[in-house]
Amino acid sequence: MSDAPRRRTRGQALLAAGGVLLAVLLAIVLIGPLLAPYGAAKTSADSLAGPSALHWLGTDSIGRDVLSRLIIGGRITLLISFVAVAIALVAGLILGLVSGYVGGGTDLIIMRLLDVVFAFPVFLLAIAVVASLGPTVRNLIITIAIVYTPALARVVRGPVLSVKRWDHVEAARSVGIGELTIAVRHVLPLVISPVLVQTSLTLSNTIFTVTALSFLGLGPPPPDPNWGSMLAEARQFMELAPLTVIGPAAAIVLASLTFVVLANGLREMLDVAGR
Amino acid sequence: MIRMVVMRLLLMLPILLGVSIVAFVLMRALPGDFAQAAAGTNLISPETLATIRHNLGLDRPVWQQYLQWIAAALHGDLGTSFVTKKPVAGELLPRLAVTAELTAIAGLMALAMGGATGLASARLRGTTDWVVRVLNSVLLAVPNFVIATLIVLLFGLYFPEIGIFNYVPFHTDPAGNLTSMLLPAISLALTVSVTISENTRAAVLEVSSQDYVMVAKAKGLRARTILGNYLLRNALTPVITVTGLQLAALLGGSILIESIFTIPGMGQYLFDSIAARDYPVIQAIVLVAATIVLLVNVLVDIAYARVDARVSYE
Amino acid sequence: MSDAALLQVRDLTATFWGAGTALRVVNGVSFDIARGEAVGFVGESGSGKSITARAIMRLAPEGSSIAWGGSIRFGGQDLLTLDERAMRDVRGRRIAMVFQDPMASLNPVMTVGAQIDDVLRGHAGLSRRAARRRTIELLDQVGIRQPALRADDHPHQFSGGMRQRVLIAIAMSCQPDLLIADEPTTALDVTVQAQILRLLLRLRRELGMALMLITHDFSVIAGMVERVHVMHAGTIVESGAVDALFAAPRHAYTRALLDAVPRIGTGA
Repeated sequence: MSDAPRRRTRGQALLAAGGVLLAVLLAIVLIGPLLAPYGAAKTSADSLAGPSALHWLGTDSIGRDVLSRLIIGGRITLLISFVAVAIALVAGLILGLVSGYVGGGTDLIIMRLLDVVFAFPVFLLAIAVVASLGPTVRNLIITIAIVYTPALARVVRGPVLSVKRWDHVEAARSVGIGELTIAVRHVLPLVISPVLVQTSLTLSNTIFTVTALSFLGLGPPPPDPNWGSMLAEARQFMELAPLTVIGPAAAIVLASLTFVVLANGLREMLDVAGR
Repeated sequence: MIRMVVMRLLLMLPILLGVSIVAFVLMRALPGDFAQAAAGTNLISPETLATIRHNLGLDRPVWQQYLQWIAAALHGDLGTSFVTKKPVAGELLPRLAVTAELTAIAGLMALAMGGATGLASARLRGTTDWVVRVLNSVLLAVPNFVIATLIVLLFGLYFPEIGIFNYVPFHTDPAGNLTSMLLPAISLALTVSVTISENTRAAVLEVSSQDYVMVAKAKGLRARTILGNYLLRNALTPVITVTGLQLAALLGGSILIESIFTIPGMGQYLFDSIAARDYPVIQAIVLVAATIVLLVNVLVDIAYARVDARVSYE
Repeated sequence: MSDAALLQVRDLTATFWGAGTALRVVNGVSFDIARGEAVGFVGESGSGKSITARAIMRLAPEGSSIAWGGSIRFGGQDLLTLDERAMRDVRGRRIAMVFQDPMASLNPVMTVGAQIDDVLRGHAGLSRRAARRRTIELLDQVGIRQPALRADDHPHQFSGGMRQRVLIAIAMSCQPDLLIADEPTTALDVTVQAQILRLLLRLRRELGMALMLITHDFSVIAGMVERVHVMHAGTIVESGAVDALFAAPRHAYTRALLDAVPRIGTGA
């Protein structure tokens, strides 16, 4: 495809941009408390202030620094997202590989079970689970992992199914090479590209789900700030201090955008199901 | 044809079963006590608690409770609300209608917006294509509740005289009802329109390169005729299918949007019930919502297979 | 000489533009087609014969951009300089084309009758009733049984050979002066191929229209056309009357093509 070199440079540009954003996110997660100029809970008399040298993004209704709360709040939001998706990834890989490779009845059962999860509107299921189990960090992580595992499992299963029939896999098998070796050496490399893209997209969706849940009050309990609850709280006085809304909104969008950009960059580079 | 429909409906049953089990288990696997929640915050004696427990059937084995619940649900009895003490079904139906209206409007908007941008992107290529695709990517990163909140902020700051929290029921004031639904519907529709836009673009590109489009040009037909009868009629089928499949996303999003714009729909009801620990309601909503999504998906699947029969050849 | 040629092509060139490079696929082709004459174009894929046909219809393949050069005189006009509106008037009405793959050439969501109707109503301005009558007539002419019933069927209800008949009916509907058939039988079963060729022959005789038959297979040409042009790498390498060419091909390439035709009794 004569388009290939152009896609490669486009992919590289997207990955670079995404990479920079990702670095910012990682910084927030890893050294957040060091970066935040104030603590998350430090109140002051200077409430609903606009941006100033002291407070780059102003303050909220009880005088807390918005920027600091964004950084600290980001930590928890991102941590939950990363951990949850990591779990979903592992679970999806295992289920997809087993289901695709073993095939037959096992495949059918696993896929039907995943279809049950799939049938629920993602957000509805998340709400229901968190509502019944209680909004703790642990439950949030479990919920999100459950909700996003089916999509990842499906993405893994596809290439596995098609590779299983390839000639050189048959040849390897006939020579007596063990199934596990075949799985790792032949199947896994093919699966990696679509999985990477899907993981990136899932991260973007997860950030949405986590912040949406906290927006509704079902996120990590106070006093820890997080972007969703900051957005919800800010609504009360938002005309007086728009930054209290724009701040969390921008943070959510930028974090989500990071992974959308990375996913697009990966797509272009790895030439996955091209556009 | 009939066989295919029956097959698909049959395949849906195990999933439906699984969905109902999940909905049931979710609410009964509570850290607290179901019977206690039924009693609310009143302090009651252990005897009264036991009576409540018996009335709710909680002293029977779990699988019996499940069967009882399912049997009742199939008869239209979705339990009794802990809060209002009235049948859930009666409370749910009007709210479901409101959410259905919001979802339908949002769905149509998403189809219109996504369809138009996707078509423009595919036909005009070049800069238009690039702009649409960049916008889509960015829009994908903006959650619907963020859009909704920003819209509320925008109106609060610059158009404070326009009321946006003024929902009125349809039968009271149809025009007012529809206008009050506009902003919420747009908030819901924007994210969904991205998927539709991408799919429309792909579908139009695919159809454009088909031989029958070339034949249509060779017949000397007008561009408008070719676009309508040859391009769109074929490209729109997969697009409408995709739109139908977006119902799940729309329903999920409606929970947030209804909260923000104070619209008394099913989503708002769910949220209130969670806060009030009204478990029968939560259970019923989860069941109803998942069932609707499943049904629509199967219908869409069937409709597409029917068209596909015409389109696919050996 | 009484009348000038129906179609006069002079120094035709076609250049593909893509990714900053130019690829010339037709490189100075010239030929005439007289009224009612049948001419064959033979060559391998990539020889430029299909693009030559598309030049006459001015139909570049979707998604590609082609720069045309030279001139194509038809009915007192140069087709390459006509505006799109005038060209649309020519397409389907005065020059019609039948393509290679009948399985993909019909709109799956429209009835077969509707796809003939729209040409009739678009070009000949017939009323719905008149178009319908003519459609049934055409279907009958091309050998579709029970035409009145079949007109309301969708393409997937027809076999490959029948679909090609429908496409021929579409092409004939406005009684064009010139019919271009680009590999009309390549995608069909061998038995059906002969039927379709016979149909084309019959229709041509009945309507007195000119035929431009494009193929890579010399055996298709035999009995169908009077003259043949052999194309290779974008140019015409040899031309002549069919029988003469068969008997004594001059160009090495022509000989190679002829040798490729399996002959009964030679074990080839």
